[in-house]
Amino acid sequence: MSASPQNLEISIEDRRQDHLIAGFAALAIAIHILEAAFPSPLPGVKPGLANVVTIVIYLRYGFAAAAWVAALRVLVGSLLIGTFLSPTFLLSATGACASLLTLGLVGSLGRRLVGPMGLSVAAALAHMLGQIAVAYLLFIPHPAVLSLAPLLLTAALVFGTVSGLIAASVDRLLRQAGTGSS
Amino acid sequence: MRLLRPGDYVILVIAAFLVGASYARFWGPRAKGETAVISIGHDLYAEVSLAENRTMAVHGHLGDSNIEVKEGRIRFLDSPCPGRYCVHMGWIQRTGEVAACLPNGVVIEIQGGAREFDAINL
Repeated sequence: MSASPQNLEISIEDRRQDHLIAGFAALAIAIHILEAAFPSPLPGVKPGLANVVTIVIYLRYGFAAAAWVAALRVLVGSLLIGTFLSPTFLLSATGACASLLTLGLVGSLGRRLVGPMGLSVAAALAHMLGQIAVAYLLFIPHPAVLSLAPLLLTAALVFGTVSGLIAASVDRLLRQAGTGSS
Repeated sequence: MRLLRPGDYVILVIAAFLVGASYARFWGPRAKGETAVISIGHDLYAEVSLAENRTMAVHGHLGDSNIEVKEGRIRFLDSPCPGRYCVHMGWIQRTGEVAACLPNGVVIEIQGGAREFDAINL
């Protein structure tokens, strides 16, 4: 097949996008693994700073790119940590799906209305709710799991807020640097 | 564009409300039990109501355990065991709580209302 100029252009654009996704996924994976190395006071609680990357990507490059970065992070992160296909992996994947879905839904309200902060908090809570639901329905169908929910949700709120602030400042810095596409 | 936009505040308020509601829902007032089941070994000995005050003697493997019910609570008054751990357990009143005198084989468990748990291990 001979490549017409138009096809060539699309493929270069695609490759640029691929590189972007790969680079940001690598960044998210690095944060993900660094976080996994820290001990946690409660099972299921971690800062989730890798989600800052997802949100910034979502704001700048759209939903598809964010979904790719999140999926790659969950997949490669679990392979590197050694939890691939374990319950931890399933929880991680559930959280990523729930938070991406929320990101898409809340994000569709428009940038003027909702910024990185709201996106981050909503996504963090959805992430935690999804995980609690799966943990309760699939792994430990015992009310004890639900009684952990308030603590876990509080942690999600706090860390979601922190991540949101970071994402908001990163987004603003990138905007000021003028390299943004949105 | 500003760091925090109108929708962000709305989401924060909703989120805070949700978290608060989860405390109210899952950490609400603890259920008080209605009855206490007293068993000796695997055998049910008696099911007593916590509503009426009384003391009773339960004959176990070693001798009589004295059990007291008062104001919706129940405890071992005395038991013929070496450690008296059952007595030191003190009053129990919530569903699922257990006081046991293992040497004497006497176990009290609170029942009725919503059952709770005393430990979580993941």
